Amino acid sequence: MPQNDYIERHIKQHGRRLDYEERKRKREAREGHKISKDAQTLKGWRGKQYAKKRYAEKVAMKKKIKAHEESKIKGPSKPKEDDGEALPTYLLDRQQQNTAKAISSSIKQKRMEKADKFSVPLPKVRGISEEEMFKVVRTGKSKTKSWKRMITKHTFVGECFTRRPVKMERIIRPSALRQKKANVTHPELAVTVLLPILSVKKNPQSPMYTQMGVLTKGTIIEVNVSELGLVTAGGKVVWGKYAQITNEPDRDGVVNAVLLV
Amino acid sequence: MQLTWKDIGTVPSSNDMLDIVLNRTQRKTPTVIRPGFKIQRIRAFYMRKVKFTGEGFAEKFDDIIRGFPNINDLHPFHRDLMDTLYEKNHYKVSLAAVSRAKTLIEQVSRDYVRLLKFGQSLFQCKQLKRAALGRMATIVKKLKDPFAYLEQVRQHLGRLPSIDPNTRTLLICGYPNVGKSSFLRCITKADVEVQPYAFTTKALYVGHFDYKYLRFQAIDTPGILDRPTDEMNNIEMQSIYAIAHLRSCVLYFMDLSEQCGFSIEQQVKLFHSIKPLFANKSVLVVINKTDIIKIEDLEQSSQDLIKTVMNVPGVEIMQTSCYHDDNVMQVRNKACEKLLTARIEQKLKGTARVNNILNKIHVSTPQARDELDRSPFIPEEIKALKKYDVNDPDKRRLAKDVEAENGGAGVYNVNLKDQYLLDDEEWKNDVMPEILDGKNVYDFLDPEIAAKLAALEEEEERLEQEGLKQQIFDAKIKGF
Repeated sequence: MPQNDYIERHIKQHGRRLDYEERKRKREAREGHKISKDAQTLKGWRGKQYAKKRYAEKVAMKKKIKAHEESKIKGPSKPKEDDGEALPTYLLDRQQQNTAKAISSSIKQKRMEKADKFSVPLPKVRGISEEEMFKVVRTGKSKTKSWKRMITKHTFVGECFTRRPVKMERIIRPSALRQKKANVTHPELAVTVLLPILSVKKNPQSPMYTQMGVLTKGTIIEVNVSELGLVTAGGKVVWGKYAQITNEPDRDGVVNAVLLV
Repeated sequence: MQLTWKDIGTVPSSNDMLDIVLNRTQRKTPTVIRPGFKIQRIRAFYMRKVKFTGEGFAEKFDDIIRGFPNINDLHPFHRDLMDTLYEKNHYKVSLAAVSRAKTLIEQVSRDYVRLLKFGQSLFQCKQLKRAALGRMATIVKKLKDPFAYLEQVRQHLGRLPSIDPNTRTLLICGYPNVGKSSFLRCITKADVEVQPYAFTTKALYVGHFDYKYLRFQAIDTPGILDRPTDEMNNIEMQSIYAIAHLRSCVLYFMDLSEQCGFSIEQQVKLFHSIKPLFANKSVLVVINKTDIIKIEDLEQSSQDLIKTVMNVPGVEIMQTSCYHDDNVMQVRNKACEKLLTARIEQKLKGTARVNNILNKIHVSTPQARDELDRSPFIPEEIKALKKYDVNDPDKRRLAKDVEAENGGAGVYNVNLKDQYLLDDEEWKNDVMPEILDGKNVYDFLDPEIAAKLAALEEEEERLEQEGLKQQIFDAKIKGF
């Protein structure tokens, strides 16, 4: 009974086929032909997949070649300005920038900062019509009444929310579409954390949506950042912070947001 | 109990797994959908895709999890062997990762099916499906390392020899390069590599042979060095576990020529340090390579040193040479004998087993109901016979003696016709033809032929006497 490394042992004892190396070399040499044949003949879904794979490979290869060539030609990218001699002390302090440029840049900086206070990562959003937002729910014995609405977008409802009696409830927020947590990215730290949503601060579409807690792209929400351990200037731990939703939750099934800092 | 794991299905790499399952979804679910269709139909189309993919992954993962043995259910020997070879924790963690991925994927599938029920447009449904499959793919991609590891384990596990921990086993152990593998080659047909350097054997090897019509397995172990077990490497640990867990006869090999690179002193020391593992086992110390040097040719001090191994109860020393095939079979037979007796003793010791049989047996001793003596009946003829004695020159001639005189078993043919009971003794050896004149004799054979013949003759005689009457009767008929 063959056991353990019997294949290696057989090769060790009897060697390989006499034409093993030759066949291997030939197979490798003809590999290009096979790839080209596949690329030409594969059809449909497989063809698409194959083309995509090939394309990615080619891009990667070209990039590599380019990087290689550049490194060969250019040598060190930044030639040294000084030739290693130490500068005398009276020369060390010399300003190279001229003052006019500095002033203009500082003004620009200030303007930017002023604007920054009110700027958000997503300044513009797509308008959403009422037809898209609400689905009419027909009621009554013969389904003639149509005063009920169902929200088709994801929503946030508070923790202690209870539905109104079904008979009176005009606007339904389906429990399948309720979200409690959001993937929040800290833009400076470049980390993404799953944080609980505290409230909906503002929905840019309409104040009514804000009130109903509809989550659409561009909505500002308040998230619980106590896990991140952010600290205020005064040294207190920050609890809630605002974040803006960056995706369409009803298309991805999750809420992604970026923290406003 | 399972001893080999040759039929575990292959574990594809995570990328292959993705291709397999997603391609299957593409092939086996409908592909044409248009925005003009009813929204229910669109939702159902995409829900089916998500569900199908989720089930496809779950099924594949389930196959992997069920294919691999549960390390806790195995025999302790296999468990420890797998622990040294594959690192038990790593093995468990990998399988757990697969199992976790399965639940995660099922959860994703459930969640997105629920969301799809509220899809409002084809585009939205499509995006949701895309998100669902994307999340499943992410989960599978994270399994890259567990899959790679499990595939390697699978390949190695399939090539492990099938060692039965409970059967009759000879275990060959000792320092590296003392001739363990060559001994295995001598007594079994196993094709084990023998090389003149240490650690040629890096794993356990098994060979089988028959002794007294019983099947034995002989296990060749890698060499052991004399050091504490926590410093031993994986190769040595395999031997240690084999010695510790298998009910066997241990053959401890020694090389007095010191060609293996270890002195006699070291070899004796190793014996004493692994001695605790020999509890409840029969042990045979085998001095190998007697073609170079024998125990008698050694100095007195070395001989005494070797004799110290005899202090352990039940240990015996034998000499052999695998090179000249000298005394090999005797060593093997001795070991087998020792093992068999030890196994029988152990069986008798086990009270449960004895009690099991004793429970079924009832020996009754009848009470004496009267004064009558009811002694066993022995015919006078038998009583008169002389008691059979092998050494007696005038002993009775038995069929066995006849056989021995005529060439022994296999040559002598017993004459069964000798015992025939016939009317005439001379008929005994008559040849009875089977075919006569192209006819089967037995077709015409009648056991009552003699009686029938007698009856026929009697009738004839009677008829002859009645012949007169018949003539008259005939005349009467003619008269009509």
